[in-house]
Amino acid sequence: MISFEQVSKRYGTHQALQEISFDLPKGQILGLLGQNGAGKTTALNILTGCLAPTSGRVAIGGFDVMTQPRQAKRLIGYLPEQAPLYDEMTVEAYLRFACELKEVEKGAVVSHVEAVAERTGLKDVMGRKIGNLSKGYRQRVGVAQALCGTPEAIILDEPTAGLDPRQSSEMRALVRELAGEHTVLFSSHILSEVQSVCDRVIILHHGKIICDSALQALRSGEARLRAKIACGEGTLLPALRQLNSVSRVTVERGGDPGVTQVVLTVKKGEAAERELFTLLCAMQAPLLRLAPVEDSLEDIFLRATMDEKG
Amino acid sequence: MGAIYRREMQGYFYTPAAYVFMGVFLTLASIFFGITNLASRSSNLLELLGQLSYLWMLLSPILTMRLIAGERRQHTEQLLFSSPCSLSGMILGKFLAACTVLLTAVAATAVYALVVAVYGRLYAAETAVGYLGLLLQGCAFIALDLFVSCFARSQMTAVVAGVGVNLLVWLADVLASAVTVDWVSKLLNFISLYRRFEPFTRGQLSLSNVLYNVLFMGILLFLCVRVLDARRWSEA
Repeated sequence: MISFEQVSKRYGTHQALQEISFDLPKGQILGLLGQNGAGKTTALNILTGCLAPTSGRVAIGGFDVMTQPRQAKRLIGYLPEQAPLYDEMTVEAYLRFACELKEVEKGAVVSHVEAVAERTGLKDVMGRKIGNLSKGYRQRVGVAQALCGTPEAIILDEPTAGLDPRQSSEMRALVRELAGEHTVLFSSHILSEVQSVCDRVIILHHGKIICDSALQALRSGEARLRAKIACGEGTLLPALRQLNSVSRVTVERGGDPGVTQVVLTVKKGEAAERELFTLLCAMQAPLLRLAPVEDSLEDIFLRATMDEKG
Repeated sequence: MGAIYRREMQGYFYTPAAYVFMGVFLTLASIFFGITNLASRSSNLLELLGQLSYLWMLLSPILTMRLIAGERRQHTEQLLFSSPCSLSGMILGKFLAACTVLLTAVAATAVYALVVAVYGRLYAAETAVGYLGLLLQGCAFIALDLFVSCFARSQMTAVVAGVGVNLLVWLADVLASAVTVDWVSKLLNFISLYRRFEPFTRGQLSLSNVLYNVLFMGILLFLCVRVLDARRWSEA
């Protein structure tokens, strides 16, 4: 549905994007994650034709955004970081304008606007001026605008920025709803948000993709186990490092004397637990506690950015 | 283009822009009409149209300030850029909307022609030519100020820069008479919008002057499209 091929963008001497490539198949929800200034907005602006890439190609539904803009842009709805709203217009007039802009057939505009308003919870404020709406409603109008014309792909740039927790949660629910019918590309610097909404995540750092993976795969690729073992460090650690399924052993200090607490980075599956139990039985070292460590997106993000720095 | 045109027309009348433009234009036009025609008992409307042409210099930026600079300030240009509407369609829609407001204001001055027709003698053909010239010149100023608006980040900058550029255009006309170097004077006369308007104020319909105005608008609208397109390559 959406493809980036070796896309770079340079502003003077600043390289905002460096040869990024990825494909987004139809129906997927992709989270574009990165710190502020990582290049997320630049990537989305290039995708929507608001900016031109310095090199590379972006296609939507097979249409090149630069050479076939009309066909490509018909397939997308875009909510930029700051919702593009005309404060002096009423919600209804604005959504009608968005429909006309997206080339919705004249006879279908009224029913289309009603359907979009119903979907985004705007029915009660249709006659109100956009300038008088709360931030939450304004953001909804922005999403509604993106839905006009029933585009195949919805692109949302930090849609929860500036919203209070309740509004953010409603916005995430709305995005999850959209996912059933549209391909969604969603950018955020809030990790939990991406975690709760997306199937797949791309992490951008200094304009480069440093991680592109399905969330499920990210979480289950390598597991971590926290173990509390009644044995001294001196004898225990070399033995643990000998185990085939253990790739890293990190000691957590500050426990009771004679008890060692470690975090083991292990390959997925049960092999690690089997090896560990066998080893500890042979060493006659009682296992006091063994629990999986849930890998949060924060950890993944920090690890990816740390690796990049390293 | 149609969607942009309709939205701009709504925008003009949802905000004070069109009311300020039409209010100031018609107030001043009525004062000029009172002095030039009523007080002096003259039925020559061409002189009045000549005076009105100087108003474009100050009033045209009121119509164009919000067209591009306003979109930038409100962050709404991304909505337009990401839509299937082409840049040329967008510029043309905005230009035509501004021209429509200008045309409406000029059309209201037809009342003066009616007054002259009832109480005096109206030279209909000459007056119509004068009106054509006034409209062409007004639209040319709109194209020029729309181009200026493409460079501004705020509406205030767009207005001030627009008036400044318009004064420069007027200055070219003044300089043309003052400069002693022949070819410079000829060049300034050739490009001067006011010099091109003079035949219309005598009721003379000149195809070359009509074409010059149309070409002037076409080139500036083309440049607007190029400026907006170039911004996509350079802007952060």
